[in-house]
Amino acid sequence: MTSTGHTDRKTVPALEIVDPGLQTTVQDYPGRLGLQSLGFFPAGPADHLAFRVANVLVGNRPGAAALEIPRGRFHAVALCSGLVAVCGASGVDVTLNDRPVPTWQAVPVSEGDSLRCSVARGPGFRLYLAVSGGIAVPEVFGSMSTFLVGGIGGLDGRALAPADVLNAYAGRTARRRGYRLPVDLRPRYTSDWEIEILRGPHADPEFLTEADYKELLSNEWRVDVSSDRAATRFHPHRFRWARDSGDIAGGHPSSVLDGCYPLGGILAYGDTLTVLGPDGHVSGGSAVVATVAHASLWKIGQLRPGRDTVRLREIDLDQAAGLDEHAQFILRPEQLEPL
Amino acid sequence: MAAIIERSELPEDRPTVTYRSAGDRYVLVEYGAEATVDLCANFFVHAVARRIAACPIPGVAETAPGLRSLLVRFSPRQTSQSAVVEALEAVHHEVPPPSSLTVPSRRIVLPIAFDDSTSREAIHRYLITVRPDAPNVVNGNNVDYVARYNGFADREALYSTILRTEWWNAFTGFYPGLPSLLPMDPRCKVAAPKYNPARTWTAEGAVGLGGPCIVIHPLETPGSYQLLGRTLPITDLFRNERSRLLDPVLFLFGDRVRFERVEESELIELRRQVFEGTYEYRIEVGQYSIAEHLAEVSRVSDEVRSRHLELTAAMREVKVP
Repeated sequence: MTSTGHTDRKTVPALEIVDPGLQTTVQDYPGRLGLQSLGFFPAGPADHLAFRVANVLVGNRPGAAALEIPRGRFHAVALCSGLVAVCGASGVDVTLNDRPVPTWQAVPVSEGDSLRCSVARGPGFRLYLAVSGGIAVPEVFGSMSTFLVGGIGGLDGRALAPADVLNAYAGRTARRRGYRLPVDLRPRYTSDWEIEILRGPHADPEFLTEADYKELLSNEWRVDVSSDRAATRFHPHRFRWARDSGDIAGGHPSSVLDGCYPLGGILAYGDTLTVLGPDGHVSGGSAVVATVAHASLWKIGQLRPGRDTVRLREIDLDQAAGLDEHAQFILRPEQLEPL
Repeated sequence: MAAIIERSELPEDRPTVTYRSAGDRYVLVEYGAEATVDLCANFFVHAVARRIAACPIPGVAETAPGLRSLLVRFSPRQTSQSAVVEALEAVHHEVPPPSSLTVPSRRIVLPIAFDDSTSREAIHRYLITVRPDAPNVVNGNNVDYVARYNGFADREALYSTILRTEWWNAFTGFYPGLPSLLPMDPRCKVAAPKYNPARTWTAEGAVGLGGPCIVIHPLETPGSYQLLGRTLPITDLFRNERSRLLDPVLFLFGDRVRFERVEESELIELRRQVFEGTYEYRIEVGQYSIAEHLAEVSRVSDEVRSRHLELTAAMREVKVP
């Protein structure tokens, strides 16, 4: 048994990784927030909704550390008894000791049980695996989230590898109650997404023309294959732009003098629209034409690179608050079905 | 909903303010004219950020400075966009105009080895794997190109310009701990276009120039600034127990740095001392008076104008990547 420096809660070995898949990382929510002026973006789950649901289903607080598994294909062995829940991308076969188990619901596991996830056929791209108690790794600058570029957080600042052992916080694990999220409340995954945005900070009329802005909302954007936790890129598109150049900030009219970016900002990086993800860079010199509503950020995390399409829908602050409330509603334990 | 929430003219010589909507959790505040690198606007940004840190605005979770902007993150459960803008407007009236500001500013001295072997290694990899005909690479380095782009007779003239001035950290961003440095002596202004396309590898500690900014790479990362040389590590994200860095990140916004030229062999020895925990970073706590800065700037304004003409003339003669 070991304990992390931050809390003095006891931890027990919970999972041994057999096949970690593409790039599985430990994340927590809301991540490493509050350090943007030192150059940190928050990290944390790309889909904050499925992530938090998975935690709530096994009786954790919504932000507890759990695994993010892009594209599925994952195999681990339980090292203690407790509950696990897999949420996120659809078209995935999850088995416990080769017997199918449902997603979006807590599943009891015992020591030695073998938990596998197939490749996620979609729609949706990322899976979240929560274990009761919550994954225990040391906090780095206030968060357990893995930030791969900086090599910090999570397990030694890296993606999981075969034979890694993850600890979880011990406690009343065995007596913890599990839940199932009713089908009606589950987020809807699709191949053709509609994502809510708010206009600005750099939109029409100074940066984009009115016609450009209309195109931003009416275009069907294809998600580029080179999308990841740092940035989701759409197919290149030539806007007309309301100005000839970026002057001293750079030649392209999308250039501005460097400033900090909001999480979920949609940058015009030359002719390529780029949505900043949780591992994105903190600042830069591109116009941010729109910002994804915070409650809708989860959709960005479920886009399939090279496959899905996106339409952007403009909403206002009241509607954004409504979406926030809906997410909070799903996460309330009284909405869940006790098992 | 419009992208601009409000524009505001502030009294005395404070910069004009534009409040921009940046989603449901952020307001982006921009100061002064759009297309000028104006240290005064940046000083004002810092003063506003420090004021908010000292007297928190209810519901505002953090602020992050840029060259001429401040990103303000708020919690919509505790406040509203309009309340945040109103509170910021009050702060902007309380913060003294730039000409009467004195801001906290530490002085840091860092060694620099110009055109060192890791810079050349990064450039070599770029030529092999990305762009063999990059016009910004001459004889396997970026330094000679940058000297020519700035109208200097040779690389020594470029070096002495960089060494002559203190550099102001306008903000820390992009990657954890990465400073964006502007020259405090306007006569020492240098500029460079960025790589096109970007470089895939840069050494930790690399010193680069892009646009009007010098940056120092805190990590091994891609990059697009012209490589001038290398200095010491500037972040310690792994909290090496023997590290003498007080913070995980050396550069806070508003810090000043002066570079001291060393040979590469000397730099390697100093870097070794950093990793062994015996190197004491040279940091001096202090204040910076903007009034004195402005007086100095106006004293040398003729020289600045002629330097500017020299620079723009030289730029036109040089091929951009």
